[in-house]
Amino acid sequence: MSIRVLDPTFEEARTEQSVVTGLKSLVDCTVGLLDNSKIKVKDILDTVETLLRTQHGVKHIVRLKKSDASRPAAPEVVAAMAGCDAVISAVGD
Amino acid sequence: MIHADTLQAKRHDLADALDVNELYQQKGWTDGLPIVPPTEERVLECLAAVNLASGEVIGVEAVRQRPITAEKVAINAVMAGCLPTYMPVVVAVLRAMCDEDFNLHGSTASTGGSAQFIVVNGPIRTALGMNATHNALGNASRANATIGRAIRLLLINVLECIPGQLDRSTLGHPGKFTFCIAEDEEDSAWLPLARERGVAAGQSGVTVMACESPHQIMNEWTKDPEELAETFAAEIRHNMLTYSIWAGNYAIVIPKQLRELFIAAGWQKHDIREYIFRAARVVRRDWATVGKNNIAERGKGPDQEFLALRSPDDLLVVAAGGPAGGFGAVIPPWLGTWSHAVTRPV
Repeated sequence: MSIRVLDPTFEEARTEQSVVTGLKSLVDCTVGLLDNSKIKVKDILDTVETLLRTQHGVKHIVRLKKSDASRPAAPEVVAAMAGCDAVISAVGD
Repeated sequence: MIHADTLQAKRHDLADALDVNELYQQKGWTDGLPIVPPTEERVLECLAAVNLASGEVIGVEAVRQRPITAEKVAINAVMAGCLPTYMPVVVAVLRAMCDEDFNLHGSTASTGGSAQFIVVNGPIRTALGMNATHNALGNASRANATIGRAIRLLLINVLECIPGQLDRSTLGHPGKFTFCIAEDEEDSAWLPLARERGVAAGQSGVTVMACESPHQIMNEWTKDPEELAETFAAEIRHNMLTYSIWAGNYAIVIPKQLRELFIAAGWQKHDIREYIFRAARVVRRDWATVGKNNIAERGKGPDQEFLALRSPDDLLVVAAGGPAGGFGAVIPPWLGTWSHAVTRPV
């Protein structure tokens, strides 16, 4: 006697994804800074922006913001991030 | 009848039901409690009960674009202990949760640790033998217990809301095992919740709300409806100060003893909502009374007013509970308007 049962987990085909190759340098890059609307994120990202510009040669900084911390970024924000060489998503609190 | 060949899920062959339980426990496919083995026969019966093909998509979790198929719903419902007849309710709840207003990803991943408070209305309650009276928020009926549990198991297994992984809850609460109630429509003169929220008369409906743990109140010392409503409002104000200030859906559950006092005074649900809308508000300086002095003067200053409800309609009033005792419950929202209660027909 045996019993045959079904797997309860997600098995549908997952979107093929691959890890991007890391940037060798940030010089002349465009970096997006995503404010996720948590408390003090602006302070963190202001500091990060200064460091990126003064110590890493980043050419353009794109400041982006989510409407609130618990909702997905708006499509136009995602589209803007897609145009960046790198994006930093900050977590405050 | 759908044939077993149409089922897509991977099969596991084991010696007996106890071995099934052990495997599923080891894999982390349960909430820690034992499960019913999801055999092909049982899963097919569940799909037949809602006349859905195995691959039919019930809804999509929007952030990760993850589809929830009928087959996975049926598997997890069987594991939770659901009978096939419970499936229409389980499916309706999941459809409601996939509504953008519910914010499925945010509410299930947040450190806030919310559960899904499910209220069932209409004829399906009695058909399934759901409990709406004694121990209304606790254990009493298979349908109440397993419908809520089916949602939790699906969140764990299909959406991977696993504690410490996607589920980042700091504390969570016992409602995360199961939190499904029925409204006591037979013993209430009030309009049922789903009717108030647009479901047609004679039709069944579900309402789901991302909630924190219920707070029990008691007032057996008055027959004045304003005083009774004030006790609920006071608990809401307390929650605004000690937990979250943000306005949104609150639910209150009113058992028979207090219901009869409201009704004797001529109060309908909307009268309760109007009172609590006016009374459930605090000012910033009140935070100083609960150990939050550091934020009592921020923002627009100590007189800045905060409302628990954006409008009276934000308050969900549910008639349920045993016949004796001047008790009631306030069920707070996860985080104000970041998730809205959603009602759907069954």
